[in-house]
Amino acid sequence: MSQVFFEDVAEGLEIPELKKNCSTQQLVLWAAGSGDFYQIHYDKDFAQGTGLPGLIVHGALKHAFLGQLVHDWMGPKGELRKFGCSYRGMDYPNEDIRCRGVVTKKYTENGKNFVELDIWTENPAGKKTSPGTATVALPSKN
Amino acid sequence: MAEVFEVTDEVKAQYGVEGPPWTYEATTTSIRMYARGIGSVDPIHYDVDFAKSQGFRSIVAPLGYIGTPTFHPDTNDGTFGFPRRAGGGARLNLPTKGLLDGGTETEYLDYICAGDMLVETSSLADVRVRGNMVFVTNEAVYKNQESGKVVAKQRLTSIHIG
Repeated sequence: MSQVFFEDVAEGLEIPELKKNCSTQQLVLWAAGSGDFYQIHYDKDFAQGTGLPGLIVHGALKHAFLGQLVHDWMGPKGELRKFGCSYRGMDYPNEDIRCRGVVTKKYTENGKNFVELDIWTENPAGKKTSPGTATVALPSKN
Repeated sequence: MAEVFEVTDEVKAQYGVEGPPWTYEATTTSIRMYARGIGSVDPIHYDVDFAKSQGFRSIVAPLGYIGTPTFHPDTNDGTFGFPRRAGGGARLNLPTKGLLDGGTETEYLDYICAGDMLVETSSLADVRVRGNMVFVTNEAVYKNQESGKVVAKQRLTSIHIG
């Protein structure tokens, strides 16, 4: 994994996109990892019985995807301090989920180099289904 | 039309009231399972020797994973795994036609590695009603059981549909 440095980053920089496309198997794998076995994520009849069009991707899985987006970008010496998102739209199995981020601010505080980002998941129609933010500390080249 | 839920003074009085603590555990198996679930291929989540070579105690939890609540059929919810705590904390009679995630915010103060036992306490932070949906936000604080250090904080919003 390559390392990004504070000096490499500028406001407006878009970080490398992470693309996901969840099979139902992946939803079950994540259910096992998280302990969330709510049936709307693997039982189509149950999901439709609650008024949903079908199976949906876990909101917290999209949160974890955004965590992976930032983790993969910031490199081993980057430190994620805070990240979060709200779930504004549903994503479905076997559809692309684009995980994206853009740098909104960089600053130094108490000797640490911080970068703030807008992060989000995006569905095939281009809608931001899980908009959020992240704050990371990056190493300096100096 | 009657509201599906009313945010009464009695509900507001429960804001900030901590429930009893619960133990969460992060193990090599649970971290690998979570990493498989998100589709990560980073060895930091799978290979203990590699993680140690990078200066960590063991494999590192993927971002978003703060351990799994210890489970017993008598005390935990069979679908979500979360603890049904006796005594203390909020008790709300929420609508049950549907349940969705509303949002997750996580603040990290340290890494979480395999072998860590965490003590979680949580409290009700906010309840809002929009149409037939009730947005319930809880705040949770996770401390390393051994060191007592706060390692993470989370705000979790669930949407209860009436």
